[in-house]
Amino acid sequence: MAVLTIKNLAKTFNVGTPRASRVLDDISFDVRGGTFVSIVGPSGCGKSTLLNIISGVEEHTSGDISLTSDSGGPARMGYVFQDPRLLPWRSVMKNMMYVQNDRSEATAGRCRKYLEMVGLTKNADFFPGQLSGGMQQRVGIARAFAVEPDLLLMDEPFSHLDAITARGLRAQLQDIWAQSKKTVVFVTHDVVEAVELSDRIIVLQPGGRIYEDITIDLPRPRRQTDPTVATLQAEVLGRLEAMKTLSRTPSSAAA
Amino acid sequence: MSTTTAPVKARRSTTEKQQETPEWRKRLTSDSAARVAALLSFFLFWVLMSALFARVPGPVEVVQRLVDEFSRGEVFGNFGSTLYRFGVGVALATVVGIAVGVIMGLSQLGRAFFESPVLVGLSIPAIIWSFLTVMWFGFGDLSPIVTTFLTSVPFVIVNVAQGVRGVSRDLRDMSTTYKVPLSRRVKDLVLPAVTGYVAAGIRFAIIIGWNGVLLAEWFGGGGGVGYRARWWYDANRFGGFAAWVVLFVGFIVLLDRFVLDRVIQRAFRWRDASA
Ligand SMILES: Nc1ncnc2c1ncn2[C@@H]1O[C@H](COP(=O)(O)OP(=O)(O)O)[C@@H](O)[C@H]1O
Ligand SMILES: [Mg+2]
Repeated sequence: MAVLTIKNLAKTFNVGTPRASRVLDDISFDVRGGTFVSIVGPSGCGKSTLLNIISGVEEHTSGDISLTSDSGGPARMGYVFQDPRLLPWRSVMKNMMYVQNDRSEATAGRCRKYLEMVGLTKNADFFPGQLSGGMQQRVGIARAFAVEPDLLLMDEPFSHLDAITARGLRAQLQDIWAQSKKTVVFVTHDVVEAVELSDRIIVLQPGGRIYEDITIDLPRPRRQTDPTVATLQAEVLGRLEAMKTLSRTPSSAAA
Repeated sequence: MSTTTAPVKARRSTTEKQQETPEWRKRLTSDSAARVAALLSFFLFWVLMSALFARVPGPVEVVQRLVDEFSRGEVFGNFGSTLYRFGVGVALATVVGIAVGVIMGLSQLGRAFFESPVLVGLSIPAIIWSFLTVMWFGFGDLSPIVTTFLTSVPFVIVNVAQGVRGVSRDLRDMSTTYKVPLSRRVKDLVLPAVTGYVAAGIRFAIIIGWNGVLLAEWFGGGGGVGYRARWWYDANRFGGFAAWVVLFVGFIVLLDRFVLDRVIQRAFRWRDASA
């Protein structure tokens, strides 16, 4: 069943002013429950805007967007941002609890479970400032999983980290995802990362349209050292080469 | 052929420097030494002035007068009523200041509404308020309380509003995506983010507010530190006047150093914890 359905979605910033700019033009796709979908595209093509519309921080200009939840109630969302976005004056554990619906012992237990999965049990009482960037991002990931979201959004969560830390976290994310089977929409500008993590890659092109919708049919767990992964990464990269020439034609943005 | 280079003295590490500096020198260049030096120079200046001018009471005379006032039983009653008025005025200014400041910080409309009154309030000196309140409320507790409140509340408002406006947009968006309820947002996000500004506001309230309470008591007749100071002033006995000023200013300084400073440091533990 589709958890997220988006139909003819468009977004224009500063509508009705001379600075009006159309960022998303005509986006339609849906995301089935339990799948890991990546949105890939060059910087500035509207990926974060799309996630913010899905999460409800940003309003869309036209089109339809609908979310369903297992419970039938309002859909619960988790969001991992590009930066950790933790309350600097609250401990790691209190940051985890801050976004939870209730403060029950069961909820606290769930928070501890996810902290353990990202290897931060010992740091539960630390302030964020006492952790490294990678550890802070792990708290952000644990926080998002711990709300048991119907839909988990991630916006380039590893792009601010060094390559070695990022690789470790990608592996960790795969493990947690394999255990929880959450529905994930993962934004990245990195095709290689997208192939490693996703069941499906939606490629956005500048001007805010979908360029390609690619299914990644590879066994898990996937490791970057695996040659079949590398081969597919190269192939997808090659297919996207064509987009560059396409996006250079000035008419494409208006079309 | 090999060239011999003259031995270069390696640059000293901080550990070496630390070890080589003699103890007496570290003591003399410490922060506390600077504070003691400031106190000492002020004290010497005071002694010098009182020796030169007959109308400047010296430290000995001031202490003498203070002891006299204690033995007359004037201190506790007057000091107590001033503290009470001052405390109520500052507490009101803090509560109202935080409330109005949060509104001004969060809402465009609130800001437009309160901006001008607050600006006017900032520019009205304590002496004007003390005249007005004595005229309005007479000689009771109310005039000094209202004067303290009115002189200090604009400073709290301005500080808090600035703090609230600075609450990170990213953290607010994060709270929105996770649908964090408003009460929790205020408690865990807005208030901690503005703690520094609230503290600065309360500090201002105290430092500005004590003018207010003393002036209102000076012009009113209901007792208190300001009233007693004026009594000595009118009697042409500057030692008694100075004794009361020293008592109250000393109290404010101690309050700031030992209570406010501690509270502020505690509120910012998270910042010190991050290396
Ligand atoms: N609040 C805003 N007002 C106006 N323009 C915006 C706003 N937010 C984003 N944009 C513009 O929308 C475009 C897409 O931004 P974004 O979604 O952040 O791209 P991406 O995440 O793909 O790098 C950019 O050109 C950006 O300048
Ligand atoms: Mg982005």
